[in-house]
This record gives sequence, structure tokens and C-alpha cells, in this order.
Amino acid sequence: MAEIYKKEIQLKDYPKDVLLNFYRTMVKIRKFDENLIRLMQEGKVSGFYHSGIGSEGLSAGSIRENLRDEDYIYYNHRGCNQKIAKGVPLSKIYGDFLGTTEGTTKGLGAGIVHSADPARGVMGQAGTIGSQLGIGIGTAYASKFKGTDQVTVIYFGDGAASREMLHGSLNWAGLYNLPVIYICENNEYAISCHVSETHAVREHIADWAYGYGIPNCVVDGNDVLLMHEATKEAVERAKRGEGPTFIEAQTFRHRGHFEGDPYDYVDGELLKDWKENKDPIRNFVSRLLLDKVTDEQELKTIDQEVEQEILEAIKKAESAPQPEPGRIYEGLFA
Amino acid sequence: MRTINMRTALLEALNEEMERDETTLIFGEDVGKFGGINKVTQGLYEKYGNRVFDTPIAEPTIIAAAVGMAITGNARPIPELQFGDFAGIAFDEIFNKMGKWRFMHGGQMEMPITLRLPVGIAGGAGPEHSQSPQALFMHGPGLHIAIPSTPYDAKGLLKTAIRDNNAVLFFEHKILYDMKGEVPEEEYLIPLGKADIKREGSDVTIIATALQVHTALEAAEDLVADGVEVEVVDPRTLAPLDMETILSSVRKTGRVLIVHEESKTGGSGAEITAQIQEEALFDLAAPIRRIGSPDVPIAQNIYLEQFYRPSKEQIIQAVNDLMEY
Repeated sequence: MAEIYKKEIQLKDYPKDVLLNFYRTMVKIRKFDENLIRLMQEGKVSGFYHSGIGSEGLSAGSIRENLRDEDYIYYNHRGCNQKIAKGVPLSKIYGDFLGTTEGTTKGLGAGIVHSADPARGVMGQAGTIGSQLGIGIGTAYASKFKGTDQVTVIYFGDGAASREMLHGSLNWAGLYNLPVIYICENNEYAISCHVSETHAVREHIADWAYGYGIPNCVVDGNDVLLMHEATKEAVERAKRGEGPTFIEAQTFRHRGHFEGDPYDYVDGELLKDWKENKDPIRNFVSRLLLDKVTDEQELKTIDQEVEQEILEAIKKAESAPQPEPGRIYEGLFA
Repeated sequence: MRTINMRTALLEALNEEMERDETTLIFGEDVGKFGGINKVTQGLYEKYGNRVFDTPIAEPTIIAAAVGMAITGNARPIPELQFGDFAGIAFDEIFNKMGKWRFMHGGQMEMPITLRLPVGIAGGAGPEHSQSPQALFMHGPGLHIAIPSTPYDAKGLLKTAIRDNNAVLFFEHKILYDMKGEVPEEEYLIPLGKADIKREGSDVTIIATALQVHTALEAAEDLVADGVEVEVVDPRTLAPLDMETILSSVRKTGRVLIVHEESKTGGSGAEITAQIQEEALFDLAAPIRRIGSPDVPIAQNIYLEQFYRPSKEQIIQAVNDLMEY
């Protein structure tokens, strides 16, 4: 059965700039999200959006100091978090939502899914949820075949974990000893269904990995440093040729499945507890201040810098033109 | 010129391309030591080692992995599904991922996959192992569809498919594996999207694919006695579809019969018919006729099975009807 990942972490073991980078990445993710919701409310962005507010620590921790541009990720349905942590320019992500030529798809438009930035290892995502579980093992297979030390990280939610593809994927990963890391962002709800209503697994989703001989653990996904350490061990294992790792990261979403979801299927007191006591950014700030790594003024400066960066990115994305109608005929074939 | 069967021609194509490009990878169920259930990959595992590997029975994973390999640019996957029918198990991976991943991510990646799919009625394999589902994929953008009828075409098309940076679905009729034909020793390639006129004629155009090309040719020989000259056009690829060659033949003969083993309703003939009438309605001397399989699942019984496959007699009757219209 999956073990709960625990590690004593001292802030003094980390350089200050690394700690502040974790903070900056989390703030960037949250402000990106808040501003995107604003654009939706202003009627500039249409469609569904799956807010990643509340789980910033998971993506910032696993990606920021662990993955290089040449390492691959497949993001999940709250995947702007991961795209931002991997370094995709904000203007390009906003451009995809706004449908302007600044987007990664050069005006084709993309929401959470279909943004891609292969130069930064962001290989895209499927609208049919969980399909990345199969595609990611192909990418990992290609790295092993070519003899590189590139690592593939596949993000997916607890909902996607019920797709049959998880099992085909885990079987290949275990069988072929692939350099792949599964990060299940367990926020407990697949739209309105609680994880306990949709999974026959005994206790944790990570228990499935055990059956395929894949090392696994359950981590507090809201602890950015714990997330960093767990993923770091998995990345090192993959680079040593020791194969896959499965990490189930526990978190909770602060907003509904999509904007407009009344989110009344979640107990109000429970949600309040996650927001007030388990917020990844708030808790990290408390720790930074307690250990006197930084002060409120320095953090405020970072907030302002990020805010400025976001506004400039939106301006850049908004001022780019809509594509010509002929755009739909470009790029189907190589 | 030497004659070899289509199985050998396909194997030669795979072998030559594996030798030419070390990023090529063959995988699927039983394609390794066993050499494939149709023996098309025989000997490749012994020669290329880990570049040919057996996979678990998991079709969606086979195709998804091919997509993931292809988009890295580090591998050129050549997966095999044991039966084309199994495309249904991996439909999302073929239709939405192989076909669309490049486009929907802004054209930033390439998809050099050649997916081999055996199709057709072949001796009591039953309703889930005898189908010809190629027309399903004409409906989905982003996929090339090859369907050869001779060893020569099979080898030249497969080599092109493997070198192409786009996804190609390569349909092989099971009965044709043992059919012989002339294949030169020296290397050649056949482009995708170039139909072949298998027989020239002036009275009726028969557009046929795979095994039905041969049935049409046999019918054409018999029809000579009745003074009817049939032209047999083999599109060779359904996507891209060489409408130029098809229309040129139609304008010459004015009469069209389309023959395929796919179910008649919604088969590739339906699309070809529509395109011909859009472009050449007033060149037609009679309505376009189609012969396909009946629109019912394929029976397992070998006696009944033959009634699903278009016959020479059906073709002769249809040609005579066209001539008398």
C-alpha cells in the first residue's frame, strides 16, 4: 500500500533565491488565474475554464527546480499551473485563451488543453481527459530508445485516473522500465463526484501503481517543498534508469470544476478549512516569515512585479490580431 | 521481372526502411519473435533486436504510445494492429490523437506514424475480425489512408508511408497477402495520392480498391466478349484521393461503377460518388452504381461469408445495367 511521503525540511537547506522562486511561481499561477477569470467576466474569453487556484504548490514544487526545458510534461485539466511553472510565456497562454495570433497555436485558440510549447517540453494535452497517460509513455519510450536522460512527467487528476488508459500506461511503464513520473493531482472531485464514489481502489489512487511494481507515495501537494523533494527523488530515479514513479499529490480546488459551477456539492466548512488553513501560498509565506528568510516588503515587491508581468502579458496577447480565416487550413499536415 | 507475394513485398519494404533509418520502430501484438500473425514482420526481430518489440494486448496504449514517440522527433513508429477491426478499440487514439494532435497544437509537431491494419473477409474470422473500416477515417482530418491491391503498390506505398512525416493508416487485405505480382529488385517509391489505372477501357469506369481490383479485372476480361471495354481505376490511397485521375476516366467513359468490400452505406464509394456528381454530373450517361458489402454484420459461417464480398457476377450485371441505361 502507498506510503505517506514524509521528510523533515529545513528552509536553511535551500538558497534564498530558490525559495523565493517557488513563491514567485505560485503567485504567478494564482494571479494568472485570477486575471483570466476577470477576462471571462468581461466577456473577452469564452468557453470553460478549470481554475487551478488552491493547488499552485503542486505544480511549482514538482516542476520549478526539477525539470529542464528538455524534460517533457503533459499537463492536466487544471494545467495552466503546470504550463506556467514550466516557463511557457504568459502572453502565449493568454493568447490561446483570447484566440489571438500571440497564442502558442498562432490564433487557432486553445483553452486549458491544446497549448503546446515543444521547445520547453510542453507537449500538449487532450480534450478526452486522461489520454495523456498513453501518449506520455510513448514520449518516455522515445527518450529511453534514443538513450537520453530526458524525463517525462504526466499530470492527471483523480477523475482521469478512472480512465482505462491509466492501466495500459502503468503496465507499459513498469514493463519497459520507462523514465516517466505520474503525478496524480487528487483534488478529491471529478466535476461533482467524490473520489470515493468513482474508485474501487482500496485506499489511495497510488495503490494501483504498487500492483505494477512502480514505486509510489502519497504527498501533501499543498506543501511546495515536500512536493519538490518527492518529485526530485523520482526525477533522479528516472535519470538513473530505474524507471517510473507514481506520486499522488493531495490538494483541493478552491473554485468549482468550471467557472459558473455552483460548487454546492462540497461542504462549506470543509472548503473553508482548505482555503484558510491549507492554502499553499499562505502557508509557505508564514514559513518564510517565521524563519526570517524574507520580509513582507520583499514579498510585496514580488507580488507587484508579477502583477506587472501579468498585465503586460495580457496587453501583448490582447493587442495581437485575430487570425485570418485561412488559419483553419494551416498546419494539418507536415 | 521476379514475382513475389504481397506479404514478401511488405516485409521487404519494412526491412529496407528499418535498415535505412535507425529511428524506425516496429511494435504490436506478436510482431516480434512470432513474426506477426500474418507473418509480415518475420525475421525483423532477429535482425533489429529491440527496434521490434511485442506489446501487451492494449490497442489504445499501442497507438497512444506511437503518438507520444512520434511527436518527440526521436522515433518513427510503425505499429501494427492485428486486425483492422481493432481500430475501434483505439478509435480515440487514431481519430483524435494521430489525426489531430499536430493541428490542434498549432502545427508544432510532426506525426510520422505508419499504422498497419489488416482488413477484409478471410475464412470465417467472424464479425469482429473481417471488417473493412477504412471509410471511417476518411471522415477524420489529418490521416492519410493507403489501401494497396498489388505487391508492387504495397511495397512502394509502404516505403513512402514510413518516410512521410504524417500519420498514414495502411490497410492490407488479408487475402492479398498470398497474391503474387511483379516487383522489381531495385528501390522505388509510390507517392500518396496518385491513383493507378489498372486496365484501360472506353465504356465503363470501375473504381475499386484492394481485393476488388482483381475481381473487377476478372469481370473486365469476361466483358470483352460482350464488346464492353472496362477501365479499372485503383485509387491506391483514399486520402489523399486522386480525383483528377478518377474524373478524367469518368469523363472518358461516362459510366461509373464503384466496388469495395466496405459496407455500402457510408463506404468510401459514397464519398467518391458525391465528388464525381459535384464535378462531372453532365458527363455521366447513367447514374453511378455502387457494390459494397450488405449493411449487416459479417457472418462467421464460411458459406455465408462469400455473400458479403462483391462478386465477378455482380460486377458484370452492374456493368451491363449501366450499358443498357
